[in-house]
Amino acid sequence: MIPTELLAHPFGQTITLTQLAATLDAAASWEAKNRLLVQLSRQLPDWPAEYKTADCKVSGCESQVWLRQDRSADGHWQVAADSDSRIVKGLLALVLTAYHHQPTNAVQTFDFEGWLQARGMQRFLTASRGNGLRAIVQTIEKQRQ
Amino acid sequence: MFDVAAFKQQFPLLGHYPELIYLDNAATTQKPRCVLDAERAYYETSNANVHRGAHRLAVAATEAYEGARDTVARFLNAASSDEIIFTRGATEALNLLANTVGMLLSPGDEIIVSTLEHHANLVPWQMLAERRQLSILPLGITASGEIDLAELATFLARPRARLLAISHASNAIGSIQDIQAICDMSRQHNCLTAVDGAQAVAHLPVDVQALGCDMYVFSGHKVYAPTGIGVAYIHNKLLQRIPPWQGGGEMIETVAFSGTRYATPPGHLEAGTPPIAQAVGLAAALTWLAQQDRAALLAHETALHQQLEDGLRAIPGVVIHGQAAHKLSLSALTFGHVHPYDVAQFLDAQQIAVRVGHHCAQPLQQALGITSSLRISLAAYNTADDVARCLAVLADTLDMLN
Ligand SMILES: Cc1ncc(COP(=O)(O)O)c(C=O)c1O
Repeated sequence: MIPTELLAHPFGQTITLTQLAATLDAAASWEAKNRLLVQLSRQLPDWPAEYKTADCKVSGCESQVWLRQDRSADGHWQVAADSDSRIVKGLLALVLTAYHHQPTNAVQTFDFEGWLQARGMQRFLTASRGNGLRAIVQTIEKQRQ
Repeated sequence: MFDVAAFKQQFPLLGHYPELIYLDNAATTQKPRCVLDAERAYYETSNANVHRGAHRLAVAATEAYEGARDTVARFLNAASSDEIIFTRGATEALNLLANTVGMLLSPGDEIIVSTLEHHANLVPWQMLAERRQLSILPLGITASGEIDLAELATFLARPRARLLAISHASNAIGSIQDIQAICDMSRQHNCLTAVDGAQAVAHLPVDVQALGCDMYVFSGHKVYAPTGIGVAYIHNKLLQRIPPWQGGGEMIETVAFSGTRYATPPGHLEAGTPPIAQAVGLAAALTWLAQQDRAALLAHETALHQQLEDGLRAIPGVVIHGQAAHKLSLSALTFGHVHPYDVAQFLDAQQIAVRVGHHCAQPLQQALGITSSLRISLAAYNTADDVARCLAVLADTLDMLN
């Protein structure tokens, strides 16, 4: 089970992808989008060190990323994540909005990359070879199979 | 007086992006127009394969390619052009050395590799060590980021120490080693020395004969030349003793199923059609660089770096890694709990290009106790305005993120 303190965030429940799309689209410049990601990161809890264990570390990222996923008693996927980078953590907030609190009996197909591209944020996908965001989304989807 | 505006005008990419502040020069430099023109002119007037055709274009191509070898030999002050082997880059040059010179080593022999080497000057030696049962001696660095010469002396005194792999200057923290002293020490112990000059060549004069090193490598793309071309200098005495590594065309004398004879050195180390146009581009870059007042370029870079580090020291929360007495115009930074990646994203939003990560020097980052740093690296086309703007955006960004 994921400790509840790591799940104390609004993404995927009170904050929806539609809302986030609107806010991101309103942030016209790269600078504004960066600032928004930093703001979003502040709404995700910082994990206490004891939860940042090697088994939940996602490799291939620009920064350190930790991710835990589990099924809740009421049949939902629960996802918690943290990073030592504010911007990556802001991106994690976007990922959680798409993947956290989804019913476990529904097959989820979501084109996260397409969604980011539509926001003009493809630079976060192409920035490096062992791309972080891709690795994170793949980790989530693989664990659900 | 060095005219930076006129110098900068020679770089088409910088003209294409007038707002860009390119501070990632240790990764690769931009190319002056004359280098691009030389590659294009080669394709437009001399393109053919080298060393084989019985026609005038093939002769022109061979002359261009072999002429480039002469230019590199002059640039490094090698005793002969035959000591210059073209490769894809510094990485391939180091792999060549490990796979050829490395074959002269016997099980139990030791290779000294410094802690601040780029992975390109560590991993090929590790792979060799595994194959040939050699051991690697990790050579430490001092608190300021220089090679620990006392430890080097003890390592060199070991009876099985055969080869020293060392960089002229560090890509990760900028320290310029006392490479002359290091080469002298190594030679006194009959230890072979392979110098990784990837970061040095664009900034510092190199004279392989004066250094007395056995091997020296660099990449074209870090010295204003195209990608896809690099150089391994191998001293003739060593060159005559080493086996080939890649097989194919060009590197042979005669081929038969009963046995193949290899070309004479250095031909035996260049298998297949070489990067001809890239070699021509490299020669153009080195010729162009030799025509510049290199002392003035270096003085300009050093002044900018002084301005940069003075400014950095005035921004709260900035830690500069590497305090060597002699440094390249490069600074590696961390910012307490603010992640270098975040800072780089905000710099990028203002069109300031820097690098973040481990800079292909993980053992060094481990020694420094950091996982990632932000590197600002200068070249001669950078201006005082570039540095001032970078400092201002950096200060604002840290303010916001804190
Ligand atoms: C010190 C050093 N050695 C080797 C290399 C490898 O060069 P290349 O990737 O061009 O082969 C680099 C470049 O990153 C370097 O900085």
